[in-house]
Amino acid sequence: MLALSLTNGLVIGIVYALTALGVSLVVGIMNVVNFAHGEFYILAGYFSYLFAHTLGIHPLAAMVIAVGLVFLLGLVVEYTLIRPTYGDDMYSLILTFILSIVFQSLFLLVFGPYPNKPPSWIKGATEVFGLFHYGNQRLAALAAGVVVIALFFAMLKLTWFGRMIRAAAQDREMAELNGINTTRLNLLSFGLGCALAAAAGVILAPVFPVTPTAGTPVALTAFVCVVLGGMGSMSGCVLGGLVLGVVENLGAAYVSTGYKHVFMFLILILVLLFRPAGLFGRREV
Amino acid sequence: MVKAIDNRWWLAAAVAGFAALPWGLGIYHQHVLIVSLFYVMMTASWNLLAGYTGQVSFGHAAFAGIGAYASGILATKVGLNPWLGVGAGTLAAAVFGFLLGVLCLKMGGIYLSLTTLGFSEILHIIINNEYEITRGTMGLQVPGLIAEYSKLAYFYIFLAGAIITLAVVHRLIHANIGLNFRAVQNDERAAAALGVDVVRVRVLAFTVSSALAGMAGALYGHYLLLITPQIPSLDQQFLVLSMTVIGGLGSFAGPVIGAFGLEILSEYIRAYGEYHVLAFGLVALIVARFAPRGLVGVWKQFMDRRRPAA
Amino acid sequence: MNKKGFVGVIVLALVGLMLAVGPALGADPVKIGVVGPRTGDAAATGKAFEEGIQLATAWVNAKGGVLGRPLEVVFEDTAGAPDKAASGFERLVTRDKVAMVLGESHSSSALAEIEVANRLKIPFVVVEAWADPITAKNYRYVFRAGPSNSGVVNETIAKWVQASGFKKAYIVAENSDWGLGIAQLTEAALKKAAIPYEQLVTERKSQDHYTELTKIKQFGPDVVLAYVYGTGLHYFVAQAGEVGLTPKAVILDGAGPPSLWPDYWTNVGDYGNLECFVSSMHEKVELTPLAKEFRENYVKAFGKAPTDYKSRSIYDAVLIAADAINRAGSLGAENLVTALEKTDLLTTRGKAKFGMEKGGPEYHQWMPPMLVIQWQDKAQTVLYPPEAATGQLKR
Repeated sequence: MLALSLTNGLVIGIVYALTALGVSLVVGIMNVVNFAHGEFYILAGYFSYLFAHTLGIHPLAAMVIAVGLVFLLGLVVEYTLIRPTYGDDMYSLILTFILSIVFQSLFLLVFGPYPNKPPSWIKGATEVFGLFHYGNQRLAALAAGVVVIALFFAMLKLTWFGRMIRAAAQDREMAELNGINTTRLNLLSFGLGCALAAAAGVILAPVFPVTPTAGTPVALTAFVCVVLGGMGSMSGCVLGGLVLGVVENLGAAYVSTGYKHVFMFLILILVLLFRPAGLFGRREV
Repeated sequence: MVKAIDNRWWLAAAVAGFAALPWGLGIYHQHVLIVSLFYVMMTASWNLLAGYTGQVSFGHAAFAGIGAYASGILATKVGLNPWLGVGAGTLAAAVFGFLLGVLCLKMGGIYLSLTTLGFSEILHIIINNEYEITRGTMGLQVPGLIAEYSKLAYFYIFLAGAIITLAVVHRLIHANIGLNFRAVQNDERAAAALGVDVVRVRVLAFTVSSALAGMAGALYGHYLLLITPQIPSLDQQFLVLSMTVIGGLGSFAGPVIGAFGLEILSEYIRAYGEYHVLAFGLVALIVARFAPRGLVGVWKQFMDRRRPAA
Repeated sequence: MNKKGFVGVIVLALVGLMLAVGPALGADPVKIGVVGPRTGDAAATGKAFEEGIQLATAWVNAKGGVLGRPLEVVFEDTAGAPDKAASGFERLVTRDKVAMVLGESHSSSALAEIEVANRLKIPFVVVEAWADPITAKNYRYVFRAGPSNSGVVNETIAKWVQASGFKKAYIVAENSDWGLGIAQLTEAALKKAAIPYEQLVTERKSQDHYTELTKIKQFGPDVVLAYVYGTGLHYFVAQAGEVGLTPKAVILDGAGPPSLWPDYWTNVGDYGNLECFVSSMHEKVELTPLAKEFRENYVKAFGKAPTDYKSRSIYDAVLIAADAINRAGSLGAENLVTALEKTDLLTTRGKAKFGMEKGGPEYHQWMPPMLVIQWQDKAQTVLYPPEAATGQLKR
């Protein structure tokens, strides 16, 4: 039981972290909480289902196309809806909240209420360390999640764009003074944030098929991870995701399955109360 | 002064005209009016919080839920009179509102929104899991407020509720402390410097707004005779938010216009089934993006433009 | 200016839209209402209802309609939520002025609706909501032309569990009136049969069942009675395969339709094989000539074979309603209730006749026969009752 819960927590936690990275990026650079983040995740799941199932494209190619399309859509949303709200974080929150409902009803209209499941990459289950049986698709999702997160951090550390992001997240005005075009940076980071949600979506959709309203819990979890890790801290939110995943699954195993999501919101409120900078975040000045 | 008296007459005439309205209507249209009045209570009280003090709470529907469930559970488990139950529900919502208001004091903006969202989700999970008490998604059947079920009677009860809500909101934003309300929204630090007790205003707004939502929820539950987690749901929160935004966030008339407009519109387009949420969302999105002050704001701008610059 | 104009255009378009929806007048047809989930988790049930309604109204109207007038069915969405169900029911009566209402497939929604039916004094024939209290409340205006929890458990599920010789059972119930009710009845039946069991309550919307399944696996049952409606059942079956609970244990879907929905096989893959489910319809076996006619008409109308048995349940209900209206001779509620009480009509599922003994769930209830069917290499094998069986349980 314990080993299974830990593994489950790790798998779910990695995906939480991946989704939360996108939120964290957008919060860090733009100070915008994108309420429709979960819907981008769902949309990518639908796209990969659509391309792989209906058009018969190879699942991997379908995933890449799905993430690309969501990235482009993210750019459009930033340009039309988010840009006029710069500086008013409440305004952007209200707009993206409404946007999330619009997306949900569009999904319902286009894809229907049933879960849509892109093809699994791999079938069957494996006996892990002789302890328990575990779905192969879940193990594959874990591996894919780790790879994407690693790629993201490599990009952050090694590329010029990554350095720009880190500079802007640390001190916007300073970055601007140093000649960084922050309007374009905002556009790209928002798109990249959406693409990260999309990556999480295509990775997890074969395990948990997407439904029109499944995005809300995804976004809520991502927000909690971000708060837990300290608003805008990238490594913090990865840790936050892992902690959440493990705590939830241990809670479900040993306390109550029905209440497993309560632990998450309790953590959120406690952290906001006592350590508003996040469990792993640096203190704000 | 003359203007104030004028307004009062207009107001009395409008209320009287509105009170006579259901007599010419069938049961179905009376129902639509009653639901609209429920939304007037919800939007007007949420507007007090979000529109006037800038605290965008996502927990307003949750407070309606607290009112409804407190009253409903007391009525079914203890046999309390539903009218006393409405009082108890309002009180319960006020207490939780006060606590959450204090909890959120140190937080601004996004943090407050996320905390209220977390609060709302916790409430949802509790209602779903304690189904032995709340009956979860199965819905809790509760007694009505009056022995003989009558739409007309409920209409007047809801009209009274809406008038009380509007009166309380009006008083708060126009009384001395009202100036403080706007000051808090615009700039907390400046308001504090001016000697406005920011803490008091914010907690007061949270408590009053929650109490009013609790009252609305309790009345609504005893009207539907069935309380479900739909009352404290995020969908409900979305309706309240978009009604207020479309009508005009931060204006007195905006929420009323939004509540009636959208509820009546939604009854009409219900024939299209699931499309009505989409239509709602699109209208709300367009209004929020291009006319952030809502229909009231558009109207004001229109009138200003017609009037020659003085 | 331009932006404001844009808003105005949108508002105008919406107003125009709502005027265009104005109800078509000239109310010549006799209207009856149907309630059911057309959106939400169980929208597939709404789809099945739609198909059955289409075939039944065509059948009734081809035979001269009711009271010499055409029959028209108004289908109101409940979204599977009790509050929407109750207000939708009321809307059918107050806005559409229907003479009676049929349908429903969620017990919690039905329990809210029977209160409205009773208050407005409108005959209501429940079709696929199984909770006992729906008829056990003995409301004068409420009938049920379909299974009840106690009927399904005592006549079919418990007998099948005993006849198959299962040694240890596990009950998984969703927290709804149907799930909790049927789980309680199953517990009582298993206790009586001295079969050891354990049970847990789950969320219908839950996507991750690994923790619960591990608990079940530790108990080591050879049969799992799953009372979970909707696609939640698909996750349950697929993940039961992944953690290795099946094929050692057999899963019984205690509702039926989710195992028949078109996306069942995409969602569960190979793990769906050998799953059992309850149904009142088999893909090959027909009980009455009318059932055969239904199948032929269904294939003609929709170009595929009927799978979800709830399309046929609502079909029967519409036939029962038309028959009662014709015998009542008017649309008065009291006449309709008397006519319904005297129903004696051959439907697709056998002869429909409502119980008249007060005190229990048998009042105003007609229990059609149910089958236990197993998926064997994507073909349906009837396991129970023995007289209808087409094969043996495979493990």
